Amino acid sequence: MTKRSSWVQIIIFIAFIALFFVLSLALPNKGFSERENRELTQAPAFSFDALFSKKFSTKFESYTTDQFPFRDNWTTLKARCELATGKDENKGVYLCSGGTLIEAYEAPDQKQLDTNIAAVKSFAENSEVPVYFALIPSNSEIHSNILPRNAPIDSQKDVIDYCYANSGADNIDIYSGLAAHADEYIFYRTDHHWTSLGAYYGYESIMKSMGFTPTPLSSFSPKIVSDEFYGTVYSKSGISWVKPDSIEIYAEQNASTEVTNYSTNEPVVGTMYDYSFLNKKDKYSIFMGGNTPLVTIKTANTDAPSILILRDSYTDSLIPYLQGNFSEIYVMDLRYYKTQLINSTVSDYVKGNGIDEVLVCYSVYNFGTDTNVFLLS
Amino acid sequence: MVFSSILFLFMYLPVVLGVYYIVPRKWRNPWLLFSNLVFYGWGEPVYIALMLFSMIFNFIGGKYVGKYRAVDKKKSKTILVFVIIVNLGMLAFFKYYNLFVNTLDIIPGLDISTLNIALPIGISFYTFQKMSYSIDIYRGDSDAQKSFISFGTFVSLFPQLIAGPIVRYKDIASQLNFRARSAEQFASGVRRITIGLAKKVLIANNIGKLWDTYSIMASSDLSVVGSWLGIIAFSLQIYFDFSGYSDMAIGLGRMLGFEFLENFNYPYISKSVTEFWRRWHISLGSWFRDYVYIPLGGNRKGKYRQLLNITIVWALTGFWHGASWTFMLWGLYYAAFLIFEKLFWLEKLEKAPKFVGHFYTVLVAVCGWVLFQLSSLAKCGVYYKAMFGFGDGGFIRPVDGFYAASFAVVFAIAIIACTPLAKNLYNKLSEKAQAVTTPILIVLGLVVCTGYLVDATYNPFLYFRF
Repeated sequence: MTKRSSWVQIIIFIAFIALFFVLSLALPNKGFSERENRELTQAPAFSFDALFSKKFSTKFESYTTDQFPFRDNWTTLKARCELATGKDENKGVYLCSGGTLIEAYEAPDQKQLDTNIAAVKSFAENSEVPVYFALIPSNSEIHSNILPRNAPIDSQKDVIDYCYANSGADNIDIYSGLAAHADEYIFYRTDHHWTSLGAYYGYESIMKSMGFTPTPLSSFSPKIVSDEFYGTVYSKSGISWVKPDSIEIYAEQNASTEVTNYSTNEPVVGTMYDYSFLNKKDKYSIFMGGNTPLVTIKTANTDAPSILILRDSYTDSLIPYLQGNFSEIYVMDLRYYKTQLINSTVSDYVKGNGIDEVLVCYSVYNFGTDTNVFLLS
Repeated sequence: MVFSSILFLFMYLPVVLGVYYIVPRKWRNPWLLFSNLVFYGWGEPVYIALMLFSMIFNFIGGKYVGKYRAVDKKKSKTILVFVIIVNLGMLAFFKYYNLFVNTLDIIPGLDISTLNIALPIGISFYTFQKMSYSIDIYRGDSDAQKSFISFGTFVSLFPQLIAGPIVRYKDIASQLNFRARSAEQFASGVRRITIGLAKKVLIANNIGKLWDTYSIMASSDLSVVGSWLGIIAFSLQIYFDFSGYSDMAIGLGRMLGFEFLENFNYPYISKSVTEFWRRWHISLGSWFRDYVYIPLGGNRKGKYRQLLNITIVWALTGFWHGASWTFMLWGLYYAAFLIFEKLFWLEKLEKAPKFVGHFYTVLVAVCGWVLFQLSSLAKCGVYYKAMFGFGDGGFIRPVDGFYAASFAVVFAIAIIACTPLAKNLYNKLSEKAQAVTTPILIVLGLVVCTGYLVDATYNPFLYFRF
């Protein structure tokens, strides 16, 4: 090496580390990361306690990495390198044809799954009203044909079959209804949820199982409310160059339908579509305004039966379709309603409100991993 | 702190280098000493006390070993033995106490409780380094360091503190007091750090994910092909991790004006196990040779004594790698091959076609890593069974094909990088071509590694999980 090329190399290296050192200090800290959908770590306060308990150093390290200048570009670069070197995935998310991001599904812990099924079974056996049970598969199951061959993704169908064989409830086959329409836009390409169209096919399966007539799809005129939705799978993947999703609304909220949210014990007027979320990262929460412990809905069909749904977020885009078939719809989230269930049970709630049917409706993933389903029994 | 982190590369290093080159020469060692302690204490502040104690103790110990060396050899030896016992005692306590207690508890009636002590990072490396200091003084191979600051700088020198190479005092004694400054040396440090970083971040971390998958796979899923894929991935991971770390240490040393000895020399191209250990973790092998094997008599006391010495040295070498008896077994595994080679095999290997030696050596190393990396003999048993077709997972499973395809490029790059091919090609370039390609490669390496490091905490909050 000549002296000149040595200096070139030295200057490159020093400039590189010094540049980002200075930029890290000079640039203001960022709070929320739109891209990753989380709060970035802020500078930790120094104290000797924090230092000796190692909290300071741990937090400081994630602070330097979280606040690193042009963080989003670096993570994109990494994702691109991974895919360029022959990988089909980054961070457990597969990039499939048409810019579809599919998150790998891993079969749940058997013990947790058995606990949850036992809870459903005990609830169904002791219930005086019919209990329906619906498990919603995600796109790693329905769109498995576009996943790389032999990719290590567990079967959700197996989990559904296992649950249905042991649930003791009236099982609803959501899977077939979705699979029959697999080539339609039934799952978001960048989010783990089903689209409003996917939710419609879910609704159709539920109505048929319950013996009701579903409102025909042709009676809705869908409208696009957003075409720049980047969902959670996008956030997880680092694969930032795919196209955004659009969010469509099929069933509008009827003028006579009253929605009441119980975020606390105090009722608050709610809505089926909270448009304010369209300006935020979490656009899927336009449906029902996101996770709420308890929502009650009254429709104009006062002669129709009433229903309690034990929900996760998939239910939110399903609810609007139910307006035509039920008089009252109670939507309870065991994850958030559990404090109210200390002194009473779900059965008490069913009796107390004269509810005619119960639907336990979960995504396969959540049903396998949720630790609050036991509250049913 | 580890080298392969944003904190180290873009916070610690600019500050340390900046101040180091701005302050007057006489302040460089004190500044380095301070920087070393920050580096060491970052993850575990209380162990700075341990480091300082051991620094002072060995400084004084070395001083008195040196003082009596010429006048009272016996006294000098007594002090040396004391210094060694204290150093080994600390290592035994911090690293092996729980293992010893658990082992003793097998005896009925005995019930000693284990302690919840975190292993002080790098203790295995710096204990050996400090012991060599006093031993070298006793042997007359070097003199005691007069300045405590210089001594402290040496024993805590951050580039080599936590993962080697084991730098001996006599090798850098003169550099502690005076270090020449040259652009060539600094630039070679830049190249070396970039190479080391790429080895660690791009190859080791990457291929390590494949081993993570296979190492925890249920025996019913572990096929012949899969188990080999997994352990070959680990063989590559540990080489690129460890040698990458040594490269970064050597590179950082050069930036500060130090020259450390090489620690790895393309071990996987060896034609015998004997050769493999001359190329793998060289500073550890030579440490055991100089401070254990030769003092035990080496090969000078007859054949049987030599075989015993080899066995002892390799049992200890294995045990040095971790507080588990499986590590000792791993050392003995190598002792068996080394003895076998010495007695019969080496001569035959030399006559055989080259590929026989290469194949045999890589096979021994790869199979050895199972013993090294899986925490219990039961797990090793399951894994070996799978590798040799006696497992429950069959010959090949569809998912093995998926992983092989996903990691094909990484495997290819890693395997080529195990050989000196790229280095030889680079050396064939004209001076001019090197002057052009080197800066490009440095920028490319730094940029891509930074991407992977920033991504390491890419940990989005996913609301549906709550």
